[in-house]
Amino acid sequence: MSRKDFSAWAVFGAPLILAVLSLIGLVGALLDDGVWDRIGAAMLAVAIVAAARARFRAGRREA
Amino acid sequence: MKARTIRRWSWVHRWSSLVSTLFLLMLCVTGLPLVFTHEINEVLLRHAWAPANPDGAGLNLDEVLSVALSRHPGDIPAFMSFDEDRPVVNVTSRAPDAPAGQFNFQPIDRTSGDAAPPVAGHPAMEFLLQLHTDMFLGLPGALFLGAMGLLLIVAVVSGVVLYAPFMRRLPFGTVRLDRAARTRWLDYHNLLGAVTVAWVLVVGATGVVNTLATPIIAYWKDTALRDLTVAYDAPVPLTERSSLDAAIERARAALPGMTLQFVAFPGSTYSTDHHYAVFFHGETPLTARMITPALIDARTGELAAVARMPWYVKTLSLSQPLHFGDYGGLGLKIVWALLDLATIVILGSGVYLWLAKRDRRA
Repeated sequence: MSRKDFSAWAVFGAPLILAVLSLIGLVGALLDDGVWDRIGAAMLAVAIVAAARARFRAGRREA
Repeated sequence: MKARTIRRWSWVHRWSSLVSTLFLLMLCVTGLPLVFTHEINEVLLRHAWAPANPDGAGLNLDEVLSVALSRHPGDIPAFMSFDEDRPVVNVTSRAPDAPAGQFNFQPIDRTSGDAAPPVAGHPAMEFLLQLHTDMFLGLPGALFLGAMGLLLIVAVVSGVVLYAPFMRRLPFGTVRLDRAARTRWLDYHNLLGAVTVAWVLVVGATGVVNTLATPIIAYWKDTALRDLTVAYDAPVPLTERSSLDAAIERARAALPGMTLQFVAFPGSTYSTDHHYAVFFHGETPLTARMITPALIDARTGELAAVARMPWYVKTLSLSQPLHFGDYGGLGLKIVWALLDLATIVILGSGVYLWLAKRDRRA
């Protein structure tokens, strides 16, 4: 247990970026129809993609 | 973070979650099909109905009204509303001596004046919606679910605080597949919690606001709207009323760029005894649920007032799309459903982690 703890940014940076993207997506799709609907859905989908990617990477390390 | 601080936040996280989990699971499971209500109703209820003269000029609204009243002679008109995806006008009227709350509702084909079939959601979807809204318990049920929503917010905030000590030596996205089930599910719980935190907070907080819909609307009616809807003597007699079409045109001129939604006739719940109340809504997803009534003097046809929504009703209007996820097309709905599934996994893994820890202690 001699390893140093991560900084707050290292712990919360990625979730923070995902949260900001999600909020822009949620509000963006609300402000206008058409292309903003797709941009909004895509920004919100980044959260899902991030989780799926983490799972696949873990699976590859395992194999 | 000190060990004692972590213990306290763990206590908050554990109990706010455990108390609300069962209800939150019910909300997530019923919410999943509800996201696709429009699509499911479309499949389940295929109405083979078409307007009589799709290309015809159509009746004006004064004509629609007199057709409707001719089918219930003696009735007094109360409301008129407009279907969005078919040329149908719905006229609600009541007999002068009818018991309170008893109305005649007539959907009318605007292209011919014929009766049109009423549309309603599929009973299965209506059941899920009611369960999701108030568990068939009315306002107390809705407020109880609102309290569960507040606990969800507490659980998310405490979860974010606890994320720091758990992840202080683990890179973001770590899933230790080679470790015991408890560790693996802890990693899934943390990963899914971290990526969905903004969405869960938005859907949770707007859900809590939506549980207050009934008191919010009641307060609006009792305060700002009451100034407009003070009852005088008796409603303007039908024979003395100016043209409905002209009244709507006058209101439209005062609120350009908005869509006609609803008309309340003199003497009905949402108007005064002397005015047509003409309700409009906006055109973007943001403003589609923002409703603005214009009051038109029913004798002279003059504009009497425009009543903008106060901030707390606007907050409610904004909370509805942000909770339902129905404002950005099918793509957004699919993402909504996936995030909902992720939330179900977070709730389930949370219960599992609590049980596993208890077993280990025992």
